[in-house]
Amino acid sequence: MSEASPSTFVQGLVSALPIALGYFPIAFAFGVAATGQGLSPLEAFGLSLIIYAGAAQFLALALITSGAPLLVAAFTLVAMNIRHVLYGPALMKRVGPQARLRHAWAWAFGLTDEVFGAALGALARGRVFSEPFMFGLAAGAYASWLAGTALGAFAGGGALAGWPVLEAALGFMLPALFLALLLSILSRAQLPVIAIAAVATVTVTLAVSGTAGILAGMIAGAVAGVLGFGAPRRGKDAV
Amino acid sequence: MRSEILILCLIVGAFTWAFRYLPTRMDMSRLPESGPLSRFLSATGPAAIATLFVASALPMLSGGMPLPLLAGTGAVVAIYALSRSVVGATMAGSAAYGAVFWGLSA
Repeated sequence: MSEASPSTFVQGLVSALPIALGYFPIAFAFGVAATGQGLSPLEAFGLSLIIYAGAAQFLALALITSGAPLLVAAFTLVAMNIRHVLYGPALMKRVGPQARLRHAWAWAFGLTDEVFGAALGALARGRVFSEPFMFGLAAGAYASWLAGTALGAFAGGGALAGWPVLEAALGFMLPALFLALLLSILSRAQLPVIAIAAVATVTVTLAVSGTAGILAGMIAGAVAGVLGFGAPRRGKDAV
Repeated sequence: MRSEILILCLIVGAFTWAFRYLPTRMDMSRLPESGPLSRFLSATGPAAIATLFVASALPMLSGGMPLPLLAGTGAVVAIYALSRSVVGATMAGSAAYGAVFWGLSA
């Protein structure tokens, strides 16, 4: 990997591979669940095409099938996705002032949790930021999400029922990806931030809900950083 | 496609796009390195990824069979330490999880 030249679209696609492998079975499961709950394959695909946010899409299924009013459902799903406002500034802070963002309006559509994590990990490992790289990263993940949804929607319920081991292994793909991404950006100074985020996530998830737990973990970890638990040094304290 | 589902998709999709794109336009270059906002943003990445790992792994503990989770987690850590490859560690973790799951259910 060259540290001098900007990363390419193809390098972005390669970096998207673990995300694509993790996304596919989840999107497949979403497609199966959506058609199982009465949505047409086109409606299931439309949710993935337009919203493109996994947890919100599963919640959307529950809201749609429960007959929730449109505005209530929209407000709930928008609130669930508000965590994404943190990713752009955090990424730009890591990239620095040299970042060219002429086409961010397009690639930022694909700045999901996993794409954000993978971008941060790639930068931490010496990858040079570029918009083509971000396009490749986002496109690989998005294509997998759409393909998984489409196949799941057309396969229908119980498609993986005869393959429980495969289903279990694919189900661990995303936690494995998050852990590998965490290891790739890990620094000794930020261990307290990570520990505080983890404890807050578990506590609030058990006490309130999974969505509240995710928001609480992110905010608690970031506030811990403000309080000085995670010094913003780069490259000096890798574990 | 039913119109209410299309409208829901468009509203949520537009807000989600705005949440992802508009904050990238914030000028981060003038922030003092040791200022509170800099520290907040530097901590956001590790905090977010740690949170998402915990949130995605937590439901796997509720079934009362943590051995696959332990094996998968251990494989990710071991392979990443050996190879520094995110792809390799992810695949190894998934394979280890599936293998132990198969062993316990056989």
